[in-house]
Amino acid sequence: MTATTLKRFAFWLQAAGALIFLALPKLGLGAYWLDVLNMVGMYAILALSLNIILGHAGMFHMGHAAFFAVGAYTTAILNTRLKWPVFAAMPFAGIAAGLFAIAVAAPIIHLRGDYLLMVTIGIVEIVRIALVNDIFGLTGGSNGIIGIARPVLFGFRITRPQHFFYLIWGFAALSMLLFYWLEHSRYGRALKYIKEDTVAAEGMGINTDRYKLSALVVGAVWAGFVGAVYASQMRTISPGSFNFWESVIMFMIVILGGSGNQKGVLLGAFLVVGLPELFRDLQSARMLVFGAALVMMMIFRPQGLIPPKPRNYTLPESLAGKYP
Amino acid sequence: MIILSLKTLVKSFGGLVAVAGVSFDVERGDIVGLIGPNGAGKTTVFNLITGAQRPDGGDIFFAGHRIDRLKPHRIVKLGLARTFQTIRLFPRMSVLENVLSGCHCRMTSGIVSSLLRLPHQRREEKVALTRAMEELEFVGLAGSWRAMAGGLPYGDQRRLEIARALATEPKFMVLDEPAGGMNDQETRGLRGLIDRIRKRDITIMLIEHDIGFVMKVCNKLVVIENGAIIAEGPPEVIQKDPKVIEAYLGVGD
Repeated sequence: MTATTLKRFAFWLQAAGALIFLALPKLGLGAYWLDVLNMVGMYAILALSLNIILGHAGMFHMGHAAFFAVGAYTTAILNTRLKWPVFAAMPFAGIAAGLFAIAVAAPIIHLRGDYLLMVTIGIVEIVRIALVNDIFGLTGGSNGIIGIARPVLFGFRITRPQHFFYLIWGFAALSMLLFYWLEHSRYGRALKYIKEDTVAAEGMGINTDRYKLSALVVGAVWAGFVGAVYASQMRTISPGSFNFWESVIMFMIVILGGSGNQKGVLLGAFLVVGLPELFRDLQSARMLVFGAALVMMMIFRPQGLIPPKPRNYTLPESLAGKYP
Repeated sequence: MIILSLKTLVKSFGGLVAVAGVSFDVERGDIVGLIGPNGAGKTTVFNLITGAQRPDGGDIFFAGHRIDRLKPHRIVKLGLARTFQTIRLFPRMSVLENVLSGCHCRMTSGIVSSLLRLPHQRREEKVALTRAMEELEFVGLAGSWRAMAGGLPYGDQRRLEIARALATEPKFMVLDEPAGGMNDQETRGLRGLIDRIRKRDITIMLIEHDIGFVMKVCNKLVVIENGAIIAEGPPEVIQKDPKVIEAYLGVGD
């Protein structure tokens, strides 16, 4: 079998897998498992957006839950106080998260590695504590906000788990496509140069600070969008849902799956969020096994399960013949 | 026409004065060699010119702009490109992708046009690919465009760094020890390459320890010792300058 047939085969296998996956609600999968898959999907989108920051730009950012929280609370506040529909609030959830990212990250964007990690951990805690303290009298303190409306799309009210399944996984697919394009562009390349060698990237004329900040903002905007979906699915949000552990899970998904690779991140979301649900019967022992598995991973495959491959370029026709 | 002008540059690190009032001008079309014993401050002068470090005092003018307060990426955009003393390629990327990093500063598409893959973004990518291949042809590496940069032989990595710098479309190039670690044959090839770069109306300044190489390639030399200029002029004159001979060979008692 030649490499091209093998590639074609792999493509169709993936397409068939995706189709079967999309048919799952019709195949009689129960509400509980659909909810699990919805949770996996939401974490997958969050991790895909974190992947731009952590996987492509190589910034150790462990505060992604903060942007997720800003998006969820923006949606909840606009919906419950001003009666805005969820989908009308969603763009503003993204914008709010993006503006918040600029405000908190602009002064710290030049920090490297572990220093950035510390500061971003601090950001999550600041957000959580601000929410608990009912900041501006808008967030409802530790009880959070209740009674968020269901989203309505073209007159269709999204209520049941299977409805959310298509909303979330449709959003995940769209995110993957757009992020794939972003990765394969001047912009995505600039982030990769920065990750490989920031000094050389700056020396080649790349405004490294601006690119790092903008990567963080793109990731934050997307996390804000996911926050809007989350708020409308849960109908009740409280500060407890946006703690440091949530940031750790997103970070883990990216590192475990293979930072910089979408398929790896997707697999990571299934493993980190989905797998523990499969072993729920084992009670607390499952976290022990999970922890041990993580340790083994980091020893034997530190680059993640599916690390990114070097990018293949296709030369314009005039050159392709000359340089195979 | 003067393209680069350094005026009483000063830079110290803690108590150590690395550059103590260096001033000189570079004419357009020159190939200037910056030479001097180890620790004389050559690389610091380069770092000040390219914006990697900021001077404590003095000014740098390049093509009508004052550049001593600018960040490195701004200076590259003005047309001043560099290579590094210790090769700083992106080793886990292909040869082509390395050169594309140089094309970056002459491209314009941003987040939105990339996220939505707009038509002008795709056109621009094609142009950049062609540009990058041109520079690879120029340095003679086009055949290995798919290879990983980190896997290239040493001499090829040096040439790839030059191709990457050329892709920024510079008016002026600073090369930090371009012949470092090269064998005789590679060094001869490099001389030819530098000559062809000059013919593209790109002014060159280089640091090099191989004095034979510097004498053959450069039309002007600047000699520094302990952070100050001790001689300046054409290679034939520098060769006979007693102060230079003393700096390199030491004084007999």
